[in-house]
Formats: sequence, structure tokens, C-alpha cells
Amino acid sequence: MFRPQVMSKVELVVPEHDVVPVTQVLAASGVFQPTPSVHLGSGRLSRSAEDWRRRATTFADLERRILAVMEALEVDEGPPPAEPPQLIEPETAQMDIDRLEWEAGAPVRELEEGRRKLAQLQRYLSQLEPIADLEVDLDTLRNLRYTFVLPGTMPAANLERLQTSLELIPSVLVTLRREDHLATVVLFGAQRDADILNRAARSAYLNPLELPEEYRGTPAEAIAALESDIKRARQYVAECQTTVDYLHEVRVHSLRHLLWRVRASRTLAETIARYGRLRYTYLVAGWVPTSRVNMLRREVKRISDDVLIEVDTPARQEDGHVPVALENPPIVRAFQSLVTNYGHPRYGELDPTPMMALTFPLIFGIMFGDVGHGLLLALLGLLLVSRKVRALRGLSGLGAVVIACGVTAMIFGFLYGSAFGSEEILEPLWIRPLQDVMDILLAAVGIGVGLLNLGMICNLVNAVLTRRWGYLLFDHNGLAGMIFYWSLLGLVAGAFVEGLPIGPIPLAALAAVSGLAVTFSEVLEHLVEGRRPLVEGGLGSYLVQTPIELFEVVISFLSNTLSYVRMGAFAVAHGALSMVVFIVAEIISPAHGVGYWIVVVLGNLFVIGFEGMIVSIQTLRLEYYEFFSKFFSGGGMRYRPLTLVSRGGE
Amino acid sequence: MAIRDVRAYSSIHARVRALYSTMLTPETWEALIQAQDFDALLNILSKTVYGPYLQIERGKLTPRRAVYQIRWHLADIYERLIPLTPEPGQQLLLQLWRRYEVDNLKATLRGVETGASWDQVRHLLCPMTKYITLTTADMEKMIHSGDMARAIECVRHTPYYGTLVHALERYQEEKTLFPLEVALDLDYHRGLWHSIDQLTGPDHDHALRVVGTMLDVNNLLWAIRYRVYHHLSEQEIINYTLPLGYQVHDEDIRAIAAGADIAQVVRRIYPDAEGLEQLSERARAGLAALEVSLQRHIVRTCHAAFIGYPFHIGVPAAYLLLNEHEVRDLTVLIEAKVSRLPLEMFVSMLETQVPAYQTEQR
Repeated sequence: MFRPQVMSKVELVVPEHDVVPVTQVLAASGVFQPTPSVHLGSGRLSRSAEDWRRRATTFADLERRILAVMEALEVDEGPPPAEPPQLIEPETAQMDIDRLEWEAGAPVRELEEGRRKLAQLQRYLSQLEPIADLEVDLDTLRNLRYTFVLPGTMPAANLERLQTSLELIPSVLVTLRREDHLATVVLFGAQRDADILNRAARSAYLNPLELPEEYRGTPAEAIAALESDIKRARQYVAECQTTVDYLHEVRVHSLRHLLWRVRASRTLAETIARYGRLRYTYLVAGWVPTSRVNMLRREVKRISDDVLIEVDTPARQEDGHVPVALENPPIVRAFQSLVTNYGHPRYGELDPTPMMALTFPLIFGIMFGDVGHGLLLALLGLLLVSRKVRALRGLSGLGAVVIACGVTAMIFGFLYGSAFGSEEILEPLWIRPLQDVMDILLAAVGIGVGLLNLGMICNLVNAVLTRRWGYLLFDHNGLAGMIFYWSLLGLVAGAFVEGLPIGPIPLAALAAVSGLAVTFSEVLEHLVEGRRPLVEGGLGSYLVQTPIELFEVVISFLSNTLSYVRMGAFAVAHGALSMVVFIVAEIISPAHGVGYWIVVVLGNLFVIGFEGMIVSIQTLRLEYYEFFSKFFSGGGMRYRPLTLVSRGGE
Repeated sequence: MAIRDVRAYSSIHARVRALYSTMLTPETWEALIQAQDFDALLNILSKTVYGPYLQIERGKLTPRRAVYQIRWHLADIYERLIPLTPEPGQQLLLQLWRRYEVDNLKATLRGVETGASWDQVRHLLCPMTKYITLTTADMEKMIHSGDMARAIECVRHTPYYGTLVHALERYQEEKTLFPLEVALDLDYHRGLWHSIDQLTGPDHDHALRVVGTMLDVNNLLWAIRYRVYHHLSEQEIINYTLPLGYQVHDEDIRAIAAGADIAQVVRRIYPDAEGLEQLSERARAGLAALEVSLQRHIVRTCHAAFIGYPFHIGVPAAYLLLNEHEVRDLTVLIEAKVSRLPLEMFVSMLETQVPAYQTEQR
């Protein structure tokens, strides 16, 4: 549970005639992550890879064409099929797609054309509306002899620049309307400057209103004609839409079915193109969790006895290229997505998910301690897990996290004596945050120190697991860093508390020695681990950098520690916000009538929603920036087993 | 020295300092310049910070692919530094990062215009994975759309859509990408200026010095190019440039647009700029030298950001810009080595390093 699954490298030698069914079995097993093995094959026979690659390209092109038809008919991909789809030959797929394109082509084109026409008419209308009251014939405006008139639309950001550019040319720019960064304008000037004005207007992206000749009369008359044309265009678009909708209805299943078949065939071809090729066989290589190797071996043997399988399980330290498969019990697994959102653990290091499963609800509970609110959260979590509400199904993976946070919030609710924001129902088992502000803040810092040390211990474990002894001893989150942190804490504590077992002088000496070790950690690490050069990037740059880095270490210790004060502060804020709800309710209905209870219910819902969200973000922040930064860097390679029903973007 | 700035920038500053020390040294540049051919250049590069990005099958490492791989380094450092930078400085870095997105978009539009295949376009792009609005899938879709109007529909969800859709009308009239590209550039640079404007105190001053200088140079070069190469009218030049800047002011742009002596205007702003004498005689030849000279001015400004008070956004911004120039120079070198150009034909085009013998010549 605390480390990624042990992975084995599996190499298969597959006879040519079995390569397709074996690849299908590997994909159906859901545990095999292929790695390119072209380089393992014989270079002379790479024509096979070329053929498969060409086949994959053909399928990719066909897939794109299906997606284009689907987009035009507004058909989505739908859920991936439960069973692996049947493969298809490119020629068969091509015929099906040709037919679908032919069928959908004309109605979709007509719809697009209709929409374009409608948009154009609407644009004419919006340009004419600001001059609707003008009692001038449009033909007169079109054929002015001495005056230049140019109505149109342009980006509002260019208005000032256009005016600047025409400073020396007699002209007037009138803005009629501004809407969505676009301005409707009319540029007036003298006809003799028409060329200059036209060039200036064009360079300012003034798109002229080019009203077709058929719209004559005054602007009001032209608007009336336009409105009637718009009505007709809308009717036409609606008719085209009906045809497209009909096609959508009748073709939705066949399109999706064809898409998944083509996609599966494309994935298969791409996968085989990456296999190595010998004279009569293919070399297939990939990663499988060691616990699933036997199952995979049985499945493959069921297809063909002629397949040779070799298995090798590398040591944990060789983690550079091993994909990472996390393995956690269901309750902990829910927290996995929160970890991978930050990064994938490397193969050789600790999986922080169990720590996350422990600390995330704890931190949340401290900040959100309330029996009632916690209960509602836990119920919401149960609802998410049950997947009964369709709209919330996408969040079902977070259900267990919400339940755990709800339960810890309830526990801390009992400790704080708070239920639905009221502090009158329960007696606190520990303290009331609102009344014992200093106590809760100090306790929060204490818990924070504990969590930071847990992070540093994890870092030490990681260093031992990866056998990085220099890092273990001298890194700022290693042993030297830990001693430095504790001695600094001791010095700070000594200033406030009397009778510490260690005096300030030994503590200062410890801080100085460990601080020096941290300052020169790079050199010391390289020295212990036998890496050269001792200093990378030049001595001068190193000497400039080290004091800044030590300063950064001290600042980060301080800020990381104090950052946990927010746990106490949010516990206080939660109490205060709840108190405000009751005060407002009291003001609205002193006699505790219906108004009082409406305010209490709405206020509680607001506290749960608003503060719940803020507390979640703060918890995540404490985990990612304070806790994880002590030991977890991520950068591991994600385990992606082969599947023939992956979505387009995957 | 505000303790808030120290707290906010100490971590990123230490990292940038460490990364700064990994930039190519003058000795490496010298070796790269002297490299016999493309393969020798790759061998030298593989021992530098670019090494990990070039670890692909040598047969596949065409010059275009090599440039693409090298650009991964830029993507890595941007994506590494952005999350470490405190707000509102982070917005400035995000805006700087968006420049590559705009460049990718322009490259894709060129691909759509010329009917290029996705394989031809993909390695011309700057690799970007985080902090983006325009994905590789979007760009691939644009290329497959086969038509400019449809391609622009593919970026409906991005901040570029409004700008492009408005400029499309001009593209359809003129059948040239010029209006689309200029519209994107103007919109982007306005956004960049806005990001600088959002900053206060030392952040604002240093961002203005570093990023503002880059914006100045771009704006100035646009104005000069529009006049020298495109022969645009005064009004057009004004409309295609920005009234914003650090040392280049609107009156300078307007003077160039109005036909003033370009060399005189540039000398007033950058007294040490090169190519000005030539600019009066043979404008096009002088302009090439001026462009390199102004780019070197940006590089010097970026290096200067590392001297003095260190806790501000200018340091990471300068480091990122320096890397961009480093990648540009490597691109020049790769192209030069592939074309087997003699040394004297390309060293004058390098922006980050002026080799010793070139300085002597001057």
C-alpha cells in the first residue's frame, strides 16, 4: 500500500499470424502497457512497421472523417462500448463513411449556408438600427458627390488610433454604438480624400457596411425589408435543422459504432507498428504488474502455444522508465486522484496516498469542526458514492473523500461542542475555538509541526529506498535539515518557555552545524555519493546562490510552520460565521418564528457551501505546498495499460 | 527593500539564478559557431542543457525537428517558472508565454492558407502543454478544416476568436494573411502592455524596462518595415502600430509614419544602434543590421536585470526572454550549418553572443 505495485518487464515473441489476436488479448487484459520495441527487431524488415503505420494513418484519417460527420450532425461519441469492438478493414470503413458523408453533406451544407445568411442579415440590421431615425434615402448616401460617408463596425480598441491617424485629414468619426469590444461607427469626410480615408479605415479594421442594392429607401424602410428577410431566413434554417435532427436520430448508433470500430483498429495498428520485427515473428515488450503476470501468461497461451514469454522484474532503484501503478484499498484509493493531480510518485519512492488519506480529513476536520455540518457532508458523500443522482455521477470518485471529511468534521464538532453552528446544544469535549483562540492557534501550529516532521521522515525513507545517502544526510529536508529545523524550533521555544531540557548554547551550536551542512548540501551530497563535479555551474554562481538558498530554507521552514496557523484560524472563522447566522436570524425574527428558522437553514447551507469550499482549497494547499514539498516531487511515469476503446484525446 | 517582495521572489530568484547559470557559455557558442556541420553542432548541443531534448533517433532529427526539440526547453522553463511566480507578476509571464501561442496560431493560419499537411506544420510550432487556450488538437483541426473561415471557427473557445473573426472579412477581400496576423499582433501587444500596467512598485519599473523594451523594439520595427518594405501610407502605419511604449513614444512612430528620417528618429532613442548610416542610403540592407542591433539591445537589457536589487518580476522575465534569444540564435546556427554557409555570413545575425573576432572587426 505504501509503495507502487511491483512491475515486471514482459517480452513476447509472437508468430506473425498470431500478432493481431495476441494484441487484442493484451488490450483486453487491461494490465499490459506496451513499450516501443522496433529497435529490438531487425532493421532490414522494418517494412512491416511501415505497413502498419500506413494502415494506422489510413484509420486516423477515416476516424477524422467520421468525427467531422458526427460534429456536423451534433452526435457525441457516447460512452465507450462495454465489450471490445470488432475490428474493421479500411476498405469497408471507407465505404460506410463515403455513404454517411454523402447522406449528411447536402443538408449540413444547406444549414450552414442558411445560418451564414441569417448572421449576415442580422449584421446588416445591427448596423442600420443606430441610424434608423435618419430621414435620408440610402441611395443618396451611396452616391454622395462631395461627401465621403463610411458606416461600419470596428474593434473599439482601434477607435482612438484611427482618430489619431486622421488628425491631419478633415474628417469626423462618429461612434453610434459599442457592444462586445466592437463599435458601430460612421466616418465622414470629403470625397476628394476618399482614398486616404478608405485606406485608414481599412487599416483600423473598419469593416464597411455593404448593404446590398435591394435594400433601398430610408434606413427605416431598409430595416423593415431586412426584418422580413430575417424571418424567412430563420424559417429556412429551422427546416434545415429538422432534416439534420432527423439524420442525427437515425444515424446516431451507426456513427458511434463505426467510430469505435475504426478507433480500435487504429489503436491496434499503431500498437503493432511499434513492435519489433524478426523474419517470421514480432517482438512485443511492455510492463505488467508482477501480480498479474501469470494471468496474462494464461490468457496469451489460450490464443497460441507458439508465443514465447520472458519476464524480468527490475530492482526498485532502476525507476527511470518503469511505469507507476498505485495500489491502495478502496477507502484510500479515493484520495489517489488528489495525489496524482499533483504528480505521479516515482517507482522507487513512497506512495503518499495513505498519508494523504490520513492527513486530508484530519486538517479538514480541524477547520470545519461541526457535528451537523459534518453529518450533512457525510450524507452528501454517501449520495455521491451511490451514483443515484445522474448529474453528480462524475463526482462519484470523490464520494469517499467527502464522507471521510464529514466524519472528521463531526468528530471535531464534538470536540468543539458545535452542531449546526449552535454552541448551545453540545458541551465541548475539548475547547471552543471562538473562546480559546490562542489555544486553538497554538494547537494548530503544534499539529503543523508534527505534519512537517512526518513529511521529513517520509523524505528520509525515500532517500533510504533510493539509496541516496548524501541526500539523506545533508538535504534541507533530510537529517541535517531536520536537526536544523528542530534546533531553530528549540531556540524559538526557549525564548518563551523556561526549563527546556536543552539550553540555548547547545541548540545554537546544533543550528550552526546543521545550517552549514544544509548550506553546502550540494557539495557534501556529491562528495558522499561520489558524483563529480562537486559544484555545478561554476564556483562563483554557486557561492552567490548558497546564501540565498539557506535564506530560502529558513524562510520556508518559518512559512511552512506558520502556514498551519490557518487551521486554527479557520476553526475560529467557522464558529464566527455560524454565530453571525444566528445573530441575523435573531434580528429578523426575535420571537424565533418562521423567519428565524429560514435564516438559520439558509445560513447553514451557505456556511457548508461557501466555507466548505474554502476549507477544501486550504486543506489541499496545506497538503501540496507544505506537506508534499517536504518529500514528494512526483515525476513518475503514469501506468497506462493498452486499451482499444480509449477516447480520442487519450 | 520590501520584505513582501523578498518573501515572494526569494524562491523564484534562486531558481532563476541557478537556471541562468545553465545558459550556453561563450565557449560553447564559439564551439557551436565553429562546428563543421549540422551533426557536429548537434553533438556539441547534446552536452548542454538542450541535450535531453535531442535524445531521439538521429535519423529523425531533421533540422526542423531539431529546432522543434530545442524549443521544448523554452516550454519547460516557462511551465516551471510560471507557477512559482507570485501574482500579479504571474500574469505578465503568462502573457509572455501567450506570445508563443500567437506565433503557433499564425503558423497554423499560414498552413491553412498554403494547404500544408499537419505533418508539415506540427514541427514548426512551439511545443506548449500548460497554460494554453489553443491546444495541438485545435491546430490540427484547423489544418484539416481546409478553409480559413472554418479554421477560425475551430478557435471559438480562445481569446483570439473575436479578433480573427473581425479581421476575416479583410482576409476574404484581400486574400492575404497580413490583416489576420497584424490584428493578432496588435491585440497581443495591447494585452502585454496591460499586464505591465497591472504591476506596481519595482515589479512595474523592471517589467517596463525588460518587457517594455521588447515591446518598443517590435513597435518601432513594425513602423519601419511598413514604410520601407510595404510602402504603407502614414495613416496605415499609425493604425498598424501601438501608441504605447517605454522609450519609444507615439510621436516617434508618428514621425516615422509621416516620412521623417528613420535613422535620425532611431538615433534619438537608441544612440548606439547599428546600421543607421546604411539605413539612409540603402534602407533594406540597413534595416537588417538595425534589427539585429535592436535585438542585441534587448539582450543587454535582459542581462542588466540580473544586476542590482533582485526581488522583482524583471529577473524571471529577463531570463525567459534571454532563452528565447538563445533559441533564435540556435535556429540561425542550425540553418547556417545545414546550408553550409560561411562563418562571416551568419555570425553577424547572432543576437545573444557577439564572437570576439566580430567585435575586433567592428
